[in-house]
Amino acid sequence: MFAQQLLNGLFLGAVYALFAVGYTLVFGVLDILNLAHAAIFTAAAFAAFSLAAAGLPLPLAFLGAAVAGGILGVVLDRVAFAPLRARNAGTLAPLISSIGFAIIVGALLRGKYGVDEKHFATGGLDTAPAIHLGAVTFTTVELAIFAAAIAMMLGLSWVLRATTLGRRIRAVAEDRVAAALLGVNLERTIAATFFIASALGGAAGILTGLEYNSVTLDMGSPIELKGLAIIVLGGMGSVTGAVIGGFVIGAVETLAIANGLSEWRDAITFGVMFLILVARPNGLFGKRALRQA
Amino acid sequence: MNALATFYAHYSQLVDQIGINALLALSLSVSLQAGQLALAQAAFMGIAAYASAILTVTYRWPMVASIVAAVLLATLVAALLAYPVRRLRGVFLAIATIGFGEIVRVVANNLSITGGAEGMSGLPQDAGTAMVYAALVLVALALFGLSRTKFALAVALVREDEHAARGVGVDVGMVRTFSLALGGAIAGLAGALYAHSSAFITPNDFGFERMEQILVWCVIGGVTSPLGAVVGATFLSVLPELIRFLADYREITNGIILLAVIVFAPGGLASLWRRGAVRIHV
Amino acid sequence: MNRITVPALALCAVAALVAPSGAASKGPAAGKTVHVGVISDVTGGAGVYGTPQKNAYELANDDVKSGKIDAGGANLSFDVQDAASDGAQVVNLMQKFITDGSTAIVLGPTLSGEAKQAFPLAARASFPVMGTSTTAEGVTAIGPTVYRDALAESQVIPTTVRRTHDRWHYKTAAIIFGDDNAFTKTDGDLFARELKAAGVDVVDSETFHQKDTDFQPALTRIESKHPDVIAIGALFPEATKIILQAGKLGIKAKMFGGNGLNSPDMYGVAGPAAQGIVVGAAWYSGAKYPSNVDFVKRYTAKYGKGPDQFAAQSYAAAQVVAYLVAHGATTKDEMTSALKNVRVIQTVLGPIGFDTNRDVKSSPVILSIVKDGFTYFH
Repeated sequence: MFAQQLLNGLFLGAVYALFAVGYTLVFGVLDILNLAHAAIFTAAAFAAFSLAAAGLPLPLAFLGAAVAGGILGVVLDRVAFAPLRARNAGTLAPLISSIGFAIIVGALLRGKYGVDEKHFATGGLDTAPAIHLGAVTFTTVELAIFAAAIAMMLGLSWVLRATTLGRRIRAVAEDRVAAALLGVNLERTIAATFFIASALGGAAGILTGLEYNSVTLDMGSPIELKGLAIIVLGGMGSVTGAVIGGFVIGAVETLAIANGLSEWRDAITFGVMFLILVARPNGLFGKRALRQA
Repeated sequence: MNALATFYAHYSQLVDQIGINALLALSLSVSLQAGQLALAQAAFMGIAAYASAILTVTYRWPMVASIVAAVLLATLVAALLAYPVRRLRGVFLAIATIGFGEIVRVVANNLSITGGAEGMSGLPQDAGTAMVYAALVLVALALFGLSRTKFALAVALVREDEHAARGVGVDVGMVRTFSLALGGAIAGLAGALYAHSSAFITPNDFGFERMEQILVWCVIGGVTSPLGAVVGATFLSVLPELIRFLADYREITNGIILLAVIVFAPGGLASLWRRGAVRIHV
Repeated sequence: MNRITVPALALCAVAALVAPSGAASKGPAAGKTVHVGVISDVTGGAGVYGTPQKNAYELANDDVKSGKIDAGGANLSFDVQDAASDGAQVVNLMQKFITDGSTAIVLGPTLSGEAKQAFPLAARASFPVMGTSTTAEGVTAIGPTVYRDALAESQVIPTTVRRTHDRWHYKTAAIIFGDDNAFTKTDGDLFARELKAAGVDVVDSETFHQKDTDFQPALTRIESKHPDVIAIGALFPEATKIILQAGKLGIKAKMFGGNGLNSPDMYGVAGPAAQGIVVGAAWYSGAKYPSNVDFVKRYTAKYGKGPDQFAAQSYAAAQVVAYLVAHGATTKDEMTSALKNVRVIQTVLGPIGFDTNRDVKSSPVILSIVKDGFTYFH
């Protein structure tokens, strides 16, 4: 049982981590909490559903929907954050404007898709062939999702470290004014950041939708608060921290249930997070880790 | 007078909700004024609501005694919470206090004395409009009185620059503990009144959604002043009924209004007629 | 929406031919206008339950106009208001309906917790209300004007346990239920009580939260205890995922649940994994009551998806109110006294009445999922 639970925790943690890296990227660059990240997660899953229903093969539907998520992120920035940035409005106002944006996205999705659960005709867990390896069981879908999540996180890390765009993003995260003086186009870099962050958050949503073969209006709600916990735990703005935080939370949740404490699951998760923060007030990886990403 | 009576007959529940929500917004505003993004108001509200309901229903305490005891308990919990989170700032404080709120909700969900997820029903509903608004006026006067003291100056100093505050001898830890405890007391008062005006309470009434709501009220009204908190709570409590005629477009309108206020009214709704107030960056 | 279309008239004529009871009659309330307030969570977290309710009342509005629902010639309409899954809005709507002077009865709200907040207002005003999905304990005890046409979980779960036990003779069971929702928590408690009473050893009890998507850790733990059966205390969005993931983990234990699983999503979403699952419920979509056959057919045609139990119980409440109106009840006081004297009313739930506690008098149906639908469980 333990091996299976470990695997359950890893699969869960991978999607948490993928959701969280985008979340933390925005914070690292802009110092704002984007509470619409879960809405983009959901919207991208619906986009993937629509594209797949229109006959696109799954990998293409996935790509298309992740790009759609990225574009929605850029729209989010222009509508809800850019005007606030222009007048240097602090961190509270963007919290609320992103909540407003999330409500709008939710209402539009409800209007277009209705309240009923959507599922992929190609199937998810239910139809994927199960692989039995010793004491553990997993499906090809889960394996693919895990691999995709890890690949995307490595890809992000590479982009931040080794590309011009990555250097620009890190420069803006370090010091916006100095970066602008050095000739970095601030608004374009920020738009690129939002595109990447939201495409990754959207990808997490699509993978979640595929894994459970279920796309619903409130599929983002369980991950919304946990995602926040993960990025704070990792040390706001730290991509590595978000990845580790994602796996830590996935493991803590799974272990709580594995030990027969399912009714205390969320209390344990948030209790662990509370204690870590008390011990390390800036999270596991400090605040400005993005600079060294 | 007649029109007012008719209005009250139709909307007395909403009127009471506004009063309680205004108290909740004020309680968060107290924390924000001290520069602390501490988001445990819903938990303090819940602790007091359950304490007051249990004392009234299970132990037959009179209403006022149960409310006083509940407020004291919420204050104590808030003051105690201040200690472990003393080194946390900004979003780290926010998420730690949200985590605390989630723990409180799960505990309420698992205890038998709270009725768990089935909640506590058949509560007496004995706190009327007069009581709710008496509490609101009392709190407003107390906050106004406080704003005239040297202590308010220390609070403002801590908010603007902690190091400078320490430099001139302000006990930063004390200021932070006091503002968290005061916020806890006001949220507790709101919670106790909620338990005495609603027939039913359940742990989900005091979760993250409620906390998010309180934060939205404060920011939409304007974080610069307690008035903003009251204006925001009032406006957003009335809004769902005000735009009910929009039917299917109500949800999206709600989102657009939030976004529009933040983008076009930088200081919140209260600033629209209170130009020139100090801007705070929390 | 006031005009009657030609097809509607034609339908009405056909209905008059094949089902005389379905034709509009001239009762004592003929020509009078009767407003019914409906409180439903069309948006927000409970939107997935409130939306089918809204759909059912819209269909009922059509059917009153066309005469398929006989309101005795009265101008009866159901005014559905969205409470957005917000208790405060439920309370405000209830007060508005009670005091507006024209509403004769209120149907809803969607959730038991909301009912416990809002029904005391109605009880104090001696205003008639009827819950259509508020199945928790103690809802009708709130006051003498509080009714419900929803079969309580306490009326459904014992029969479900008894019938499955008679058939399968299981010795051990595990329970998985949502512990942060009054409905699913009641399920969990009732399953524990009834299974123990049947001499079954409950080897594990796992909880989850509303909107959870991953149930594999809990199911893995359940499987390590090797129960013969798994009792599911959930609503269908979570139940479908539990069943799919149990299938993926290779869990072979038989599974059953209560009212919350009575949705076409069970086979529509969970597909092959849902085969053989037993559902204790208040309503059967395939029941042969004339109005039910017609309701399922037309609901499906109108909304592109079969009705679930939320829709059926709402439609039944509309039928009950229409019956009372046809017999002359047009004000809240007339409704209150007419409700007291109800004997048997034919609805999509079958013939129903109310007991002395104002709970619905009806028997649960025990269903089993076979292929793309429910059948009776034998």
